[in-house]
Amino acid sequence: MSRDNQRIIQEANAQTMQQLTRRHFFQECITGMGAMALGSVLGSCNWIGSKDAGSLIHSNPLMAHAPHFAGKAKSVIYIHMAGAPSQLELFDFKPDLMKLDGQDCPPSLLEGKKFAFIRGVPKMMGPQANFKQHGQSGAWISEHLPHLSTVADELSFLKAVQTDQFNHGPAQLLMHTGTPRLGRPSIGSWVTYGLGSENNNLPGFVVLTSGGKNPDAGKSIWGNGFLPSVYQGVQCRTEGDPVLFLKDPAGMDRDLRKASIDAINEANKLTYEEFQDPETVSRIAQYEMAYRMQIEVPETMNINNEPAYIHEMYGTKPGEACFANNVLLARKLVEKGVRFVQLFDWGWDSHGTEENLAIDFGFVNKCRATDKPVTALLLDLKQRGLLDETLVVWGGEFGRTPMQENRDGKKNPFKGRDHHTEAFTMWMAGGGIKKGFSYGETDEIGYSAISGKVTPYDIQATILHQLGFDHEKLVYPFQGRSFRLTDVHGKVINEILA
Amino acid sequence: MLFITEVVAHFHPVLVHLPIGILLLAILFHWLSTKEKYAGLSTAIPIAYLAGSITALLSCITGYLLSGSGEYDETTLNLHQWMGILVAFVSATGYLFSRTKNYSQLKWVSIALLILLTVTGHLGGTLTHGEGYLWKGSSESKKDSTAGTKLIANAQEAIVYKDIIQPMLQQKCYNCHAATKQKGGLRLDSEEWIIKGGKNGKVLVAGSIDSSEVYKRIILDPIEEKHMPPKGKSQLTEQERVLLQWWIASGADFAKKSKEIAQTSAIKTALSALEKTEIVASKRTDVPDVEIAKASETILESLRKKSVTVFEISANSNWLSANFVNCTKWDADIEKNMSSLKDQLIWLKIPGAQLQESSWKTIAALTNLRRLSAEHSSITDKDLEQLNSLNQLQYLNLVDTKITAKGLLQLKANTNITNLFLSRTGIGAQEFNTLKLKFPKAVIDTGGYNVPFIATDTQQLHPKEK
Repeated sequence: MSRDNQRIIQEANAQTMQQLTRRHFFQECITGMGAMALGSVLGSCNWIGSKDAGSLIHSNPLMAHAPHFAGKAKSVIYIHMAGAPSQLELFDFKPDLMKLDGQDCPPSLLEGKKFAFIRGVPKMMGPQANFKQHGQSGAWISEHLPHLSTVADELSFLKAVQTDQFNHGPAQLLMHTGTPRLGRPSIGSWVTYGLGSENNNLPGFVVLTSGGKNPDAGKSIWGNGFLPSVYQGVQCRTEGDPVLFLKDPAGMDRDLRKASIDAINEANKLTYEEFQDPETVSRIAQYEMAYRMQIEVPETMNINNEPAYIHEMYGTKPGEACFANNVLLARKLVEKGVRFVQLFDWGWDSHGTEENLAIDFGFVNKCRATDKPVTALLLDLKQRGLLDETLVVWGGEFGRTPMQENRDGKKNPFKGRDHHTEAFTMWMAGGGIKKGFSYGETDEIGYSAISGKVTPYDIQATILHQLGFDHEKLVYPFQGRSFRLTDVHGKVINEILA
Repeated sequence: MLFITEVVAHFHPVLVHLPIGILLLAILFHWLSTKEKYAGLSTAIPIAYLAGSITALLSCITGYLLSGSGEYDETTLNLHQWMGILVAFVSATGYLFSRTKNYSQLKWVSIALLILLTVTGHLGGTLTHGEGYLWKGSSESKKDSTAGTKLIANAQEAIVYKDIIQPMLQQKCYNCHAATKQKGGLRLDSEEWIIKGGKNGKVLVAGSIDSSEVYKRIILDPIEEKHMPPKGKSQLTEQERVLLQWWIASGADFAKKSKEIAQTSAIKTALSALEKTEIVASKRTDVPDVEIAKASETILESLRKKSVTVFEISANSNWLSANFVNCTKWDADIEKNMSSLKDQLIWLKIPGAQLQESSWKTIAALTNLRRLSAEHSSITDKDLEQLNSLNQLQYLNLVDTKITAKGLLQLKANTNITNLFLSRTGIGAQEFNTLKLKFPKAVIDTGGYNVPFIATDTQQLHPKEK
């Protein structure tokens, strides 16, 4: 570019700058300024729904409120086996798959399909467990779950669950937030948003993890998304302090703590009156709840005081971080009126790439560690008269292939199965669900669902329905439209309702 | 060209409403103009009649094009066609009379037109919505799509086609594929028609679901254009689909009974489900059928201030549910407030409550209670005796209390109890039978479940050990 051209451009810029005078600002921008001013004036007057906003400051966002209709369930315990347990070694018995064991997978099962790790032509793999029918309902359950088999008649199986996400993170997000992408509220948040909590001294939505790792999708699967943050899942620990930083710091007694929380909340109330941000109300509620939780949480989260017969029943090990302890805690929390307890147990991703992830080793050990506590939970809820009003959900984020995984086309060191989206098993119990029932069918080798297909949206719709919600009406306005958990999908699985 | 006429034909159901509206307006104007106040309207009458007759003519043309599809019952169609043509003709006459201000003749024309419009409109409705659409109960048409097949006394003895398949077809298919309307030339309202098929050939191949169009269309993805029943219409339930599949695959016999056809466990379940209640969420019994006046908000608020969770059981109900999980001791204030909720309160939870005699008296006065959870509470046989007044009680939880069998046996009025939870009470195993006789409707849960230890529970499996 020549020097002259540069000068011309500089000149033009200078001219433009000169024309953007104070007068120009007033002439051209006055309407915008006016609109902003009006907005802020009206905003502070809060002429729309002023009553609601006014009362918000005084009310607790977690106060219990009525659902759309009287739901059968009051609480939910959702046991998520993170990594996705194999349905073919637990509930979906496929003797025909045994006959194909070791044979090349027919091309019809591979054409146009995408797998997470299977490449080329894998071998079919028969069930790596013996099955028997159990209970009056004749449910097929494998030898890996000897305890659960004894309560088969309490369960409703969903044998043909389908998802469209074959990686852990997105599939878990879809299962819990209704979308494979980040940013939406989790089902527990929706439930506490809709129902509040029956116990003011405890959070409405508690999360407990085990298996040594958090689920792949991270904390966003119990996040509040665009809902006020008071509805997010509160992760409690089973070792040490259940909730971090809940204790009073050294040298601060409870009265001083109370006085400082009151002072902070007074300041927050003024902030709220000025800006009307619902997050401020959340913050006030959280401070107050944290104060109340100081007493109640350590008490509820302490399993040491449980009688010996309970410890024997669940197989709990006080002081350790383990799945059994979490299951017992889930029962205690539900008993105390917590709405939604989410258990995540990591370690079910049985690819066969290492011993812990082998379908005939690590997987079996996971079954052994979880079978007794889950069974104990169902029976303990039952004898406490709580099973009818507590919905227990068990499942993973997808299923596993009838083919043996051959990572990158090579034989894996151990037996394992790849991620499978087209058909897997989940079960529900209690909370107004049919007892001893099975819904949905897969083909002879458990590859695809042939009847009674359900999606994660259907499961979410059903959970909400049992709590008394029409999933199409439980909405939250955000970015100009009403959002709901099931987005534009979801159908209540009426077939499994008692 | 064919395509265009088809599209134009589809406008018939829209266009027909124009002559109906315009001609009715013309008649109205005519009658109004006889009054002095509205005399000025008379100039509008010929215009209305002209517009009415032109749109009537257009409706006739589009209607004729639509009739070519051959999907309708011919007798009704013929009648509708000629009545429609008559409407166009009579309205044209009306135009001529009104232009020449021959009002005495026009009066007869308007009366004739009124009758013709009504009859033609009704016939059109019959063609679109099926025979007898006017009198079909609104409850039937509004039924949830999950509420499916009729109930059968004995599904195994039932004739599969007549008792199971036909009612299903009648409910979900006859609207468009029976006597009045035959979309795609297909009728499904008798054995002969089903076997004959539609204008594109056979729809049922006995023994083969893969070649039976009547089944294939049903399992198509609902977003596909060819999916049946069409989008927005009541769909087949999963149970109906399973039974239809079973019937076709087993040879589509029109005379056989259920028990004469081989059944898988899924079919057995579907069949026995026909005998039971319809697949809709059953109504709960622990909520009264009637509604009640709203409880005072000040009372609810004062209870909430004492950490009592109390709220309506659902958004459109005034029945109340209360949970005292954070309030195990009652003061006089609470007792007073609870007494004022005696009409509305139906569910009450007092886990771990340590209550005085007066508080139990308060509870005894809550005579609408359906559910009472008093687990871990201080309740004794003496307190329980007072609760005899709770004759609506269905759910009673006394887990981990000092209650004995004697205490329960003194309950007389509480025969509605359906769920009784008694684990960890002072009740011995030998007394359960006596209790069972006392509460015949109740499922009595005595707990004491255990999950026996199995050696593998704590063993880890490793490659070497295998």
